[in-house]
Amino acid sequence: MSLLAFFFIVVSLLTFVAAQLILKRAMEFSATNGMRNSHFMLLVAVGVALMTISFFLTLGLLQRFDLSYLYPFQGLSVIFITMLAAVLLKEKLSVRLTIGALLITAGIVLVSMS
Amino acid sequence: MQNRPSGFGNPWLQLGLSVACVFVSELLLKRGATDVAEPDSALSWTGVNGLASPLVWWAILLIIASFVSWLYVLRYIPLSLSYPLSRVVDILVPMGCWIFLGELISAVRWCGIALVVIGLALVAKPIAKMEERL
Repeated sequence: MSLLAFFFIVVSLLTFVAAQLILKRAMEFSATNGMRNSHFMLLVAVGVALMTISFFLTLGLLQRFDLSYLYPFQGLSVIFITMLAAVLLKEKLSVRLTIGALLITAGIVLVSMS
Repeated sequence: MQNRPSGFGNPWLQLGLSVACVFVSELLLKRGATDVAEPDSALSWTGVNGLASPLVWWAILLIIASFVSWLYVLRYIPLSLSYPLSRVVDILVPMGCWIFLGELISAVRWCGIALVVIGLALVAKPIAKMEERL
């Protein structure tokens, strides 16, 4: 794998993780403040823009690599998003949930390696 | 997770719909991207040339549908629960290849699928208890 491919895989993963956290924050905000305000619109717009970047980068990568080859990187998003949701969004993270997320990540990596 | 709507508005049902849309769209995207692949073109790193495939457009429609469901799910379910659960799609894709396309699944891949299932069960069990209390 070239350095360029690795770069695009990392950027695609980071934009996807950031989009999920921002969208979650937007929907939490809308629960108390409604959807007709500029802050909510801005958060959703940023989330959608980040997901769009991630989508097109993935489409570019799929032209070069097997879907199963790109899987482990998608798998990493589980553990990143679960941990960051706990740290940044103050969601409660039990030991059970952490172990579950780790097992899912390990499983996805195994599936893609075989 | 209080005041959750029931019926079609049930966030768990919407999570299932979102996962189903992602599952189909991943297969369509892979087929579409392969159909119009131009590995020698630098522009194709951006993926924009993938838009030449009708399958990619069908996939985009499904992604938009899954996105709407997903936003709805985010309103009611914590991200640290909903996101790991949504990755059930990572076992649906290889299982789909096995059932519908007759592809073989190696022992290591079955082990990986088993790990994902155990992980999902660990994440999902407290939710089942939570639902019983409601």
